[in-house]
Amino acid sequence: MTTTRRTIAPGTRGGEPHDQGQPGAAARRARLLLRWYPRSWRARYGEEFTELLIADLAERPRSWRRAADVARSGVLARLASAGLAGHPLDPAAAARSGLATLACSAAAFGVVGTAMSSQLAIGLQWSVPGDHYITVAMDLMSGALLVFAVLALLAAIPVAWAAIAGRSGRRAGALLRPAVLVSAGALILVVGGRHFGNGWPGTGGSWWAAHGLVPSGVAAFGWATTMSVSSFWAHPAMLAAFPAAERAWMVLSPAAAACLVTGVAQLVRRTELSARAIRYEMWLAGVAGAGMVAFLSGALCWVTAGVAGPQRLFHAGTVDLAGLAVLVVALATGAQAAQQARAAGRATLAGQAGQAGRPWPTRTPGR
Amino acid sequence: MLGRSSGPASLILASLAEGAKHGYALTKDIESFAGVRLAPGTLYEALGRLEASGLIEALESDDRRRPYRLTATGATALSTYLRSQRQVAEVGLRRLADSWGLA
Repeated sequence: MTTTRRTIAPGTRGGEPHDQGQPGAAARRARLLLRWYPRSWRARYGEEFTELLIADLAERPRSWRRAADVARSGVLARLASAGLAGHPLDPAAAARSGLATLACSAAAFGVVGTAMSSQLAIGLQWSVPGDHYITVAMDLMSGALLVFAVLALLAAIPVAWAAIAGRSGRRAGALLRPAVLVSAGALILVVGGRHFGNGWPGTGGSWWAAHGLVPSGVAAFGWATTMSVSSFWAHPAMLAAFPAAERAWMVLSPAAAACLVTGVAQLVRRTELSARAIRYEMWLAGVAGAGMVAFLSGALCWVTAGVAGPQRLFHAGTVDLAGLAVLVVALATGAQAAQQARAAGRATLAGQAGQAGRPWPTRTPGR
Repeated sequence: MLGRSSGPASLILASLAEGAKHGYALTKDIESFAGVRLAPGTLYEALGRLEASGLIEALESDDRRRPYRLTATGATALSTYLRSQRQVAEVGLRRLADSWGLA
């Protein structure tokens, strides 16, 4: 027996709960406000929160403070659900969400970083920079990108293993869609990148980018897959002069990249990773963070050097400054996600240890 | 133990010390004894944190309004928090009386 004290809420009759249908305007407004919250939160608290909102709306029909409070709290719940804020509903799910957000941040960093470094690689194909800053920048950026590529492969192994191991279970259907997204996105990027890489502006230059660490084939592929990261979007007349196929690729390639990243994020969120696998991913995240800082240092070195070089081959424009801003945001988001995932992983481990060490199921008094 | 959200959290725990209550009952009770009306978002944000920390627990309910109850850990945390607050209040009041003549 519970000792619940029932308070008669406005809009109720004789202390009875609200009518289940609640067709009134208050119920509609409550449901609208509830949309601020993520699905997992709504599944847990949705009904009772709606009841509270209906009662509150009956007392205070108009209140911008209530709307602002619900919006703020809903956004916080969404951040927690994405592994970017504390106190999630489910620590294990939050650890996976944190990893997924980290993967998205790393992907954004990788795309913009590749676009920036491929621009430098083109310059290095045709000219030897007189300024030391450019070669230092290129070494740092290309070295960091190489580390990212290796880390991405290492990070994918436990996720792929867990996904394959769990494919026969109930979650097989849930993993199919992200697997299709990953495969389709990767296939389009590889085929398109190889095809459009043939039109690389560095073709005909030195085989090995002078003073850079990037072979021309890799630089061409990186340039082709990130062709959409361009200032030409701000100059429609110049963009119209591009071949139609290239323009179509500039639209298709980011869509394919989005498919790939969305699929990876969904796979990570839906795959049951062991505590050991999460710890391993966290270790990789730490190395990736160091790589991001190294890349950012190289990019800053280039952008702040102010060296245009012959035919402005090393000129850093507005799109590169915007790229720098994206890199900083991606790094900060990734760091926050890693921190939350680490905390959620520890909470999961503590919960498992607590359950393992508990001799009997506890009985709460009065139940 | 109550952390940064000690304001709403302590109010909720103090309210639940009397017995289990659902969201609306909590709001009204807190308003009556503290003169503070917790907004719905703030209330449920704090309820979620307290539940995740094991200081309160949700009870089964036969309607859509789920009641919450203080756990033994929550009672201990509230007691510790209130004792420390009482000590602060006593020291402050004594000093006010000594230096300013205010009781």
